[in-house]
Amino acid sequence: MRKALDTLYRASGIVAAVFLLAIAVTVLIQVGLNILDRIAVALTGTAVGLTLPSYAEFTGYFLTASTFFAGAYALKAGAHIRVTLVLQRLSPEARRRSELVCAVIGAVFAAYFTGWVGLLAWESWVFGDVSPGIVPVPIWIPQLSMVIGLLILTIALIDEAVVIARSGTPGRGAACDDDLAR
Amino acid sequence: MEIIAGLVLVACLFLLLGAGLWVTLSLFATGALGFLLFTDKPLFGGFGAIGQTLASTVWGASNSWALAALPLFIWMGEILFRSRLSDDLFSGLAPWLGRLPGSLLHVNILGCGIFAAVSGSSAATCVTVGKMSVPELQARGFDDRMILGTLAGSGTLGLLIPPSIILIVYGVAIEESIARLFLAGVGPGIMMLTLFMGFVALWALFNRTKMPAVEERLPLAEKLSRSRRLIPVVLLIGGVIGSIYVGVASPTDAAAVGVLLALGLVWSQGDLSRALMVESLMGATRTSCMIAFILAGAAFLTVAMGFSGLPRALAGWIGSLELSPYALLAALTVFFVVLGCFLDGISVVVLTTAVIVPMVEAVGIDRIWFGIFLVLVVEMSQITPPVGFNLFVIQGMTGQSVLAIARHALPFFLLLLVGVVLITLFPGIAVWLPNQMGR
Repeated sequence: MRKALDTLYRASGIVAAVFLLAIAVTVLIQVGLNILDRIAVALTGTAVGLTLPSYAEFTGYFLTASTFFAGAYALKAGAHIRVTLVLQRLSPEARRRSELVCAVIGAVFAAYFTGWVGLLAWESWVFGDVSPGIVPVPIWIPQLSMVIGLLILTIALIDEAVVIARSGTPGRGAACDDDLAR
Repeated sequence: MEIIAGLVLVACLFLLLGAGLWVTLSLFATGALGFLLFTDKPLFGGFGAIGQTLASTVWGASNSWALAALPLFIWMGEILFRSRLSDDLFSGLAPWLGRLPGSLLHVNILGCGIFAAVSGSSAATCVTVGKMSVPELQARGFDDRMILGTLAGSGTLGLLIPPSIILIVYGVAIEESIARLFLAGVGPGIMMLTLFMGFVALWALFNRTKMPAVEERLPLAEKLSRSRRLIPVVLLIGGVIGSIYVGVASPTDAAAVGVLLALGLVWSQGDLSRALMVESLMGATRTSCMIAFILAGAAFLTVAMGFSGLPRALAGWIGSLELSPYALLAALTVFFVVLGCFLDGISVVVLTTAVIVPMVEAVGIDRIWFGIFLVLVVEMSQITPPVGFNLFVIQGMTGQSVLAIARHALPFFLLLLVGVVLITLFPGIAVWLPNQMGR
């Protein structure tokens, strides 16, 4: 179970990284096309009008996917920042309780969030909403990336709460902000 | 009445933050509480429920072309952070600075200035420059206080000199042009470098006994040859900032090209490995996720704050006081420095945009200028205990206590304050360059 969960977080982190790479590649292709266009203007006086259709929308969708797929992975890596000034001064037992409360609040909120984003995506699907650009992308597809990402984040937060409740040692998600500085 | 309820909300936010809840979650939870307090929206139920606003706000805030510059610039910084740049900065800058008053201490300042221009993070700037320069400077017998002070102080420039992550966050949150914000950071960045270098030179003149002997003079050809590896980095900086200024590239375009050039640079040095690719990409994925989540939380809180009427009421109240902008800015500086003692810079900025920017605009302060002011004040908070990221970084490097490092950094804290006063008296330092760019 432990191993399966960790694989899930790691895998969603990799998916997020691939979307980040996709942002870079998309933007670079567009920059290349812009340069070609400028060369064309310089040579012939007319622009060819080379563009990746709807590239700005696609970049935005990739960004959403990257952000939400990375949610659980970033949590487990201790990347989400928090103020640990008070936590550090608590006794181990009090600290464990606060960590548990944080994880439970997080899990409840993430579940709520997942449900509503799920509804948003479902509505987009039912109403057949498409993006406004040249290439009409059904909006539910990029929205689905939020749903999946938040679902995995919810699982990770429940996992976090269970780990703290059982063992008393906070998981990696409880890494304090000093860790950021490393 | 509205003000009291709004203040309850702010108090609740600080309570959650203090309790150790993740910053992004604190923003979301406070936003949800705001909706419960100020609207009739239910938590559940069909149309018009809080969850619906939550989902659509976050969807709207997270898919943005302008925001895509953020992960790309972070990635570029991550790549160069793992490159040989840190060695090159010391060996490339040292031959030129030996004869200035303050000699090699300037390597810290200029090195930070250069790395700040390829990275948007002050912690990364501090580490990259410090891991090479601190041992080298200590070995040459420079004063420890000055070594660490210059590093802590100039490391904060990572936030100001473009590309700046924190200015992207500010620009996205207030829907202002990131290109203009970047250009506004150039003048104050150079100003701060000058102030820091001037201070070090003066200090060296008055403390000759604490300065080690000047090293041997090198012929010009030898100097050039030692700095040749810095040239590509300088070209990279010029290319990224220049293309934004000339208008051929948006910040997002420039960031993607910056990533490609950074990879090319590392490749030409023979250091491009699979591990470097994977580590830099995963690191950028984590950091940009963290920031995008905070921005999403801030967007939701901003909507809730709008319903609470607090920003409007606060703006009205400040307006009725008929404060001079100077008095308001003085009060805000104190407020931000205190806030920055407990919160990281990005959180300070997103909280500001939700509540304080409307108020500041009501007094007639330019929002681009205010962004630069905010960054300078946040920089000050990077070197104040108990939560100052640069202090933690240098503690990790040297093992000195946070308080001792903060004491060494105090002159630079004061110089940042001088910088704040200067841009207030001469706003042109920040806004002249962006105003030269066509609208």
